[in-house]
Amino acid sequence: MNEQPRPLYWTFLGIVGIVISIYVLFPVFWLFLASFKTQAELAQLPISFWPETPTLEAYTALFSPTHQKGQLLDWPQLIGNSFFVAISSTVLVLFFGTLAGYAFARLNFPGRDLILGGLLISRMFQGAALLLPTYRLMSMLGLQDSLVGLVLLYSAFGLPFATWIIASSLREIPKELEESAMIDGASRLQSMVMVVLPLATPALITASMWHFVGAWSEFAFASILLESNANKTVTIGLASFVELFTLEFQYVGAAATIVALPIMLVFFFGQRYFTRGLLAGAVKG
Amino acid sequence: MGSVALRNIRKSYGPVEVLHGIDLDIQDGEFTVLVGPSGCGKSTLLRSIAGLETITGGDICIDETVINSLAPKERNIAMVFQNYALYPHMSVAKNMGFSLRLAKESPSEINRKVNAAAEILDLTNLLDRYPRQLSGGQRQRVAMGRAIVRDPKVFLFDEPLSNLDAKLRVQMRSEIKELHQRLKTTTVYVTHDQIEAMTMADRIVVMRGGQVEQIGTPLELYDRPASVFVAGFIGSPSMNFIAATARDDGLLLDTDESLGKTPVALANGRGVIAGFRPEDIRLSDTGVSAKVALIEPTGAETQLVLRTGENSIVMTTRDRISLSPGDPVHFSISEGKLHCFDAESERALSGAV
Ligand SMILES: Nc1ncnc2c1ncn2[C@@H]1O[C@H](COP(=O)(O)OP(=O)(O)O)[C@@H](O)[C@H]1O
Ligand SMILES: [Mg+2]
Repeated sequence: MNEQPRPLYWTFLGIVGIVISIYVLFPVFWLFLASFKTQAELAQLPISFWPETPTLEAYTALFSPTHQKGQLLDWPQLIGNSFFVAISSTVLVLFFGTLAGYAFARLNFPGRDLILGGLLISRMFQGAALLLPTYRLMSMLGLQDSLVGLVLLYSAFGLPFATWIIASSLREIPKELEESAMIDGASRLQSMVMVVLPLATPALITASMWHFVGAWSEFAFASILLESNANKTVTIGLASFVELFTLEFQYVGAAATIVALPIMLVFFFGQRYFTRGLLAGAVKG
Repeated sequence: MGSVALRNIRKSYGPVEVLHGIDLDIQDGEFTVLVGPSGCGKSTLLRSIAGLETITGGDICIDETVINSLAPKERNIAMVFQNYALYPHMSVAKNMGFSLRLAKESPSEINRKVNAAAEILDLTNLLDRYPRQLSGGQRQRVAMGRAIVRDPKVFLFDEPLSNLDAKLRVQMRSEIKELHQRLKTTTVYVTHDQIEAMTMADRIVVMRGGQVEQIGTPLELYDRPASVFVAGFIGSPSMNFIAATARDDGLLLDTDESLGKTPVALANGRGVIAGFRPEDIRLSDTGVSAKVALIEPTGAETQLVLRTGENSIVMTTRDRISLSPGDPVHFSISEGKLHCFDAESERALSGAV
């Protein structure tokens, strides 16, 4: 086990990694490039790789709401809806996940570790199996075709995992820090807000990123719950684009790029928090 | 002002009682050290005084007021933790000023107090640093700075030096002592290190298994240990213990040799534990016969291990020794330095002086 892997081994792994990345990313990149092409260029043979006459026509079309082929295409509305759902549910998940995570990390109650483990396991029972019961439940509550309903649903689905991430990270924060704060005159809430949460920032950001990306890109529940055009989210819009524009692929490319953009930004700005070791120096070291 | 009184303190974790009724009076300004082996309940007792643990019985008083149910922040105490517990995301100045900020003091007042404390602890140049940028000794001083800015009634220290290397420990020991002489704040200091206890304390509380074994000044404990446990715990190298029998002509070993006069009147034939310190042993022409087993010169003094029958005896002497292992010797114990403990209860039977 302690044997140093040979350089050859790493070279091999690296090559495999690069091949897989190209295989996975090539269609994505091709779609991205397609969004800058004209209709004529997409139709011509042989197929071009780089856009010959790059144009933003597809993007302009996307941001000027129109009826096309009998469908209302209102991307500003879709994007607004998706942001509303993703941000609101992230805020809810973060708020309740922090409170619950703190309780799991600091309070002693019967069955604590069992429940905490259960939170993780509950992630396995998501997805298709829940579609129908969820639809029935939301209808009974009068929350079908409602963005608020979707926010509540996403929050409920996202809360267990966020709680688990936050609880795990709060457990790593020495309890002496809080005890010290309480001796210094802090209430429990103050010690949580002024001492614990700043140190848990990486976990809070990780949990938010995770949830935001999940909520932003969720399709199945949104598609069965949302009916009216005014309530649809970007993933539904994208799906209908794929059906609608089988030939005009520049629109699909532009829409996919716009939908992917927030996720890429989130990872771009969030990744440094994954590794940030704010705790260094808290205790001896 | 800051006197502390503990009345019959009990603490249980679930069904397990770890403090079995602790009584202790600490005068205002006194430096009290709680010492004892690991797991004897020192931290639990200190944390109970701080309000970080809820006691299950008894009363804790500060300045004659019972504070059992007060939150830590209402007790007007400051605590220095073993791992320092500095807030990693705050600068040294922010760390030290945190309690003042919570007490809603004005920024200029906070500044003034933090600077004054930094001055005392030689931290002025480090105020803008973060804990991770400090050495162990500096972190230790920041932790103390955080305690002193508040001018609390009582300082609590829980093994504050155990994370430092030996040399720094000695230095910080005297810094803490000097700080106490300067501020005269009542201090309760926990350690498992008897040398720290001896050098720093006005009064030492020796604890064992959740109970107080003996309370006294360092020299009282050294000269008149109340039990085999205290006698063995205080002093280094430890006191020697040998089973002996009281006779009219003195304490006899099972080889029928006499250790010396019985320090108190004892019934003829009573079995006891005799105790004597390494530095109270004299090599002489008469006395108990032994063989030299080991010679360890340390420069200023020499430590010898002698063997008599089954027993190993450690002695120290400032004389230069010209013996070698295997040499036969005789030793006796300096007048009045023989201690006597009950073989059953291990409590002291004598007040050897
Ligand atoms: N939170 C706790 N739960 C259960 N037992 C504990 C807890 N804290 C301490 N103890 C027990 O109480 C006893 C005293 O511990 P402690 O006060 O930390 O000892 P010391 O500081 O003297 O080493 C030990 O036997 C320890 O196992
Ligand atoms: Mg301890």
